[in-house]
Amino acid sequence: MLSRRQLLGVSPLLLILCGCDKPAVLSAPPVPSRQTQVLLDAVTAEQNLVWLYDKASATYPQLNGALTTLRAEHAAHLAQLRATVVEPPGKHVPTTVTQKPAIGKTQHDALIQLRGAEQGAVTTLMGRLNGASPPLAQLYASIAASETTHVGVLNALTARISAK
Amino acid sequence: MSSANEAIVTALQGALAAEHAAVYGFGVVGSMLSGAGETNARNAWLAHQSQRDNLEAMLTGLGATPVAASPAYSLPFPVTNAQSAEHLATTIEDGLTRAYLGVVAVNDATLRTFGARMMQTCANRATNWSGTTVAFPGMPS
Repeated sequence: MLSRRQLLGVSPLLLILCGCDKPAVLSAPPVPSRQTQVLLDAVTAEQNLVWLYDKASATYPQLNGALTTLRAEHAAHLAQLRATVVEPPGKHVPTTVTQKPAIGKTQHDALIQLRGAEQGAVTTLMGRLNGASPPLAQLYASIAASETTHVGVLNALTARISAK
Repeated sequence: MSSANEAIVTALQGALAAEHAAVYGFGVVGSMLSGAGETNARNAWLAHQSQRDNLEAMLTGLGATPVAASPAYSLPFPVTNAQSAEHLATTIEDGLTRAYLGVVAVNDATLRTFGARMMQTCANRATNWSGTTVAFPGMPS
């Protein structure tokens, strides 16, 4: 049996004899797994929600106090989701806001819009549960529960504004 | 019983134990409240009895013996007035949210959805009692 030193000495000769080129370099990043892609989609969805809250607060500063806590909780959701992503080679956690709708023409309309966004977010998260690992499913479920409570808060706010 | 079924039974037994405690606890809560508060406590007490019965049926259907309620429960803090009663109500619902988080971890699509929906129900009740929201209901802080 050849020693390691002998093998290392002959290996260039072997490569030439077999006509081998250098190993091919991977030119494209691997495709993320479905679970990773779903997680990346969840990050984008949360970024969109944060944007919506910022836009509503900027448009109706009188709502700031009422919306601050909800916005802070969405920021916490986003941070936790981003922290859960292990960035695959060549793929980065998205930072782009992909949905920038116009804000409702009145405070009342803006609150209805936020409430609809929260309800939509809960529905989407419920659809992400199956196929996720148990810890990830628990994170999605917890965020969905938080966003369900936001719907209740926004309902109460909307009723207060309507009563004025 | 397979290990997957064992995990399901364990998670459901955890939720059932929490519902047993909730039925006891809301009896205490209701005794300290009046008017709308008392009505809310009674409605919660009835809802938790219904959820308890549902979990018992689920466990029996899986061939397991549902865990029994304790004869009594020690309260996490003294409940002497309306404010402490409402705090107990919030604490009970937070505990249930945690228990149903355990159901979300099982590898069964229907039960996972059930667990998540129950988390939403309990988190909403906790917010109604406390007047506050939290970022991660049921998760350890």
